[in-house]
Amino acid sequence: MSRKENIIRIKVNQKWCEFSLGQDITPNMTLSFLLREKLGLTGLKVSCDEGACGACTVLLDGKAVLSCLTLAVSVHGHEITTIEGLAENDPVVKAFSEQCEPGYGTALQCGFCTPGFVMSTKALLNEKPKPSLSEVKEALSGHICRCGCYAGIAKAVLRAGEKMEAGGEKS
Amino acid sequence: MKQGYKQRTGRKFIGGYRPRIDGLEKASGNVKFADDITLKTNYPDMLYAKVLRSPYAHARIRSMDIRKAEKLSGVIAILTYTDPEVASLRATNAGWTDGVDTVSYDRMMWRHFRDRRVLGDHACWATDEVGAVVAAETEEIAEEALKLIDVDWEVLPFVLDPLLAMKPGAPVIHPEISQTNILPKESVGGEDVFVNRGDIDKSFEEADVIVEDTSIHHNATQASLDNWCCLVDWKKDKLTVRSNSYETDQSRMHISQMLDIPVHKVRVISSYVGGQFGRGDTGDQPFFLFTALLSKKTGRPVKFKHTRRESFHDSRQPAIYLGKMGAKKDGTITSMYFKSIGNAGAYADHTMFALKFAPTEITEVAFAHIPNIRMESYGVYTNKLPACMMRGVGNSQFNLIFGHVVDMLAEKLEMDPIDLAIKNFGHEWGSRPDKSLVAVLNQGAAKIGWREKRHKPGVYKGTQKRGVGFSFHPAWHAEWQETRRGEIQVGITLNTDCTVMLEAPTVETGTGSNTCNMLGCAEALGFLGIEIEDINWSPVVDTETSMKDCVQTDSSVSYLQSEVIAHAARDLKNRLIEKAALVLKEKQEDLDISDGRVLSKNSVGMTVKELMNCGDLAPLVIRKSKLPNNEKTGVPYIATFSEVEVNTDTGKVTILKIVVVNDCGTVMYASGAEAQQIGGQCIGVGEALTEEIIYDEETGIPLNFNFIDYKIPTMADMPDIDPVLLEVWKGAGEYGACGIGEGTVTCTPRSVLNAIYNAIGVRVNDIPVKPEKVLRALGKA
Repeated sequence: MSRKENIIRIKVNQKWCEFSLGQDITPNMTLSFLLREKLGLTGLKVSCDEGACGACTVLLDGKAVLSCLTLAVSVHGHEITTIEGLAENDPVVKAFSEQCEPGYGTALQCGFCTPGFVMSTKALLNEKPKPSLSEVKEALSGHICRCGCYAGIAKAVLRAGEKMEAGGEKS
Repeated sequence: MKQGYKQRTGRKFIGGYRPRIDGLEKASGNVKFADDITLKTNYPDMLYAKVLRSPYAHARIRSMDIRKAEKLSGVIAILTYTDPEVASLRATNAGWTDGVDTVSYDRMMWRHFRDRRVLGDHACWATDEVGAVVAAETEEIAEEALKLIDVDWEVLPFVLDPLLAMKPGAPVIHPEISQTNILPKESVGGEDVFVNRGDIDKSFEEADVIVEDTSIHHNATQASLDNWCCLVDWKKDKLTVRSNSYETDQSRMHISQMLDIPVHKVRVISSYVGGQFGRGDTGDQPFFLFTALLSKKTGRPVKFKHTRRESFHDSRQPAIYLGKMGAKKDGTITSMYFKSIGNAGAYADHTMFALKFAPTEITEVAFAHIPNIRMESYGVYTNKLPACMMRGVGNSQFNLIFGHVVDMLAEKLEMDPIDLAIKNFGHEWGSRPDKSLVAVLNQGAAKIGWREKRHKPGVYKGTQKRGVGFSFHPAWHAEWQETRRGEIQVGITLNTDCTVMLEAPTVETGTGSNTCNMLGCAEALGFLGIEIEDINWSPVVDTETSMKDCVQTDSSVSYLQSEVIAHAARDLKNRLIEKAALVLKEKQEDLDISDGRVLSKNSVGMTVKELMNCGDLAPLVIRKSKLPNNEKTGVPYIATFSEVEVNTDTGKVTILKIVVVNDCGTVMYASGAEAQQIGGQCIGVGEALTEEIIYDEETGIPLNFNFIDYKIPTMADMPDIDPVLLEVWKGAGEYGACGIGEGTVTCTPRSVLNAIYNAIGVRVNDIPVKPEKVLRALGKA
């Protein structure tokens, strides 16, 4: 194996990172482990570690993926966005943090699952800026919020979509 | 847009609809949980611990050979049940938490059944943590090492069913505690028959109408996403713990006493926790102790973390309840009898709290007017996952039978169950009809469309049958019920620029009490004319620098600290007036403070900011400790109404709508309260329809310790939920609020079950109501 082949290159939050195979990165290392333990990007959470809860969701080339089920080596040459890579005034983050419309509660309580929900919402609104409620439910049904803030989350997603459309922003 | 609730007393901050104070920090992923803080990059010399878990439902370790494991590269230390520092640890249980306050080993609850050994040789359920724990350079190496430990297991007979476990000849699980599996009578829980009011036998003989049935509550788990995690660093005589436990002061007491270290040499730090829901009372998890011992042995910080599968380590007590009620023809309830058999699982923990304490409280409040009541309970050891505290402990189980017999009795009397409830239930300190009960039932009925939608059970045509049902319960978190917590401690520091450092230590588990505290503080400091943004609340509780934390139990941190903050604010105002009198050379009685200004009868006064910039520029510090107010104010009520659709071909139950009604006394933070009402349904609906731990009956091994097979409702599974907040009841103190968090869960399963009965005309009394149970009830399976 040449030296070049020994290097895994991943664009993380707009910045290319290089990892040496066998040292920084092993063939069985998950993307979630690499991001959290090696790069300190702890916004994504590992709860079930088997693709059932959605807490580890990140964007791979703009699409939502479960980083606990993605091998780090498999994203060589691709672009990863974690919640740390979102802009400070990101409309989805803002909508999740601000939801308090009467009748729906807040969009988060303990906040452990929230980054995963936010990232799936980013992917959904990228594809479909104005989803219906049932499309929101479908898109986010791979996530568990044990605090049960589903009604507030749905409101926040719809609100973020409306705001982005009104402001001509892209997710 | 939905209408918010109507505030009884207009206030500037308290009761508002607004974002959480930590909304942005959490939504942006910036909040650090225990697992995020304890990364190897932050603790380069950290080791990882993994503990041996029993592959058998019931077994004893005859012997163990760790030589191969010790030789594995990267293994730094192994502790086993035979090491003196482990073997000398005293037996313990979950009773350290006493539900709410800090207790010592000698004063803990359930002293008659200290049945937990830390890393003992006796495994009482499959996956029990026993025998050995490894510290290694990586988690993988630690796991590999466990596989290399040769254990000679003496496999023992096991029992899962409490009814079988009670029979003579059943394998005895804790012979050191009791020669049968029935938990011994205990000074706290009392006799098996723990309530015996009036003459129950005679009253049933004389009753015009009697109903009787059973309800079965299965084994649900809290399922916090933030798996158990701690890092212990024991250097010389000082031990530091970072964890996601919801209590710090109590953890410190537990570690200090179990490991015999002075209290001031134990430092416990907790900050954000990813959901609690009752999980993990102090003492029911051995890992603080064995992780500490590994740290001592290696001289390095050691991290212990459960995987999600391993974090299935705590649950709600499954219970079989028999309920019987007798009444006169006019609907006056004369007699009640409840008998419960609780499946404690492998360790007793707070089983008797659920079986006895919670129902006893109800007899003193809602059942105060019922002349004849008998209650008896038996907690039984089995080789299942131990049951401890879970959101709505005991009340959820009891409501399943209580709401059941109320519904049956109303049908037999040909009464509306709402009328039956209002006629009979209330509070000993109040008059009937109870205003709070009337309000929650009438509001719920109006919102679900009770009068229009309710029909005779089972008359619906077709295979898609709809029905409505409800259940109600007294809330149990009035301030007088919290006096056993002891003093609540808070502090207010006023800086020279009029910003405020609020000390209201409590571990932030998501309940929203942090926002309640900020609102309470801003309200109480109204005289300073400040906003929420001018106040800082620390999310980190550190026993080295913090006062005692207000433990996140009993749903009542939302108001307990605010009540004391109000008193601290008064003290602060007095201190400011004292200071102003000196500076202005005026009498204190001529001065007042309002909207950030010192007002004087004799002069133009000055701003508080100017005052604070006179003299030494030292901040003003107020610290206040106060017992909860024990004024006897009764309790408010809660109710949940459900509408369901049942497919009688498939047995599938779809919940169409849930109305959750809480009389809060005073709403402290409306958006947070609604989030609790809506959010609680994730547990309530899960327990009603899908959540259950399933065991292989042949081996006793649990089969679904994962989020794929243990079905937690997702967004796609949840119905439309209408949260209704009321302020009818009035408690004591500054605000007269009560806790609601647990009460949002309690009535859901029964309201769904009553709605199913209304839809199909046959009862399913065993939750979760899976399709096969519906079909069986319909005679189709």
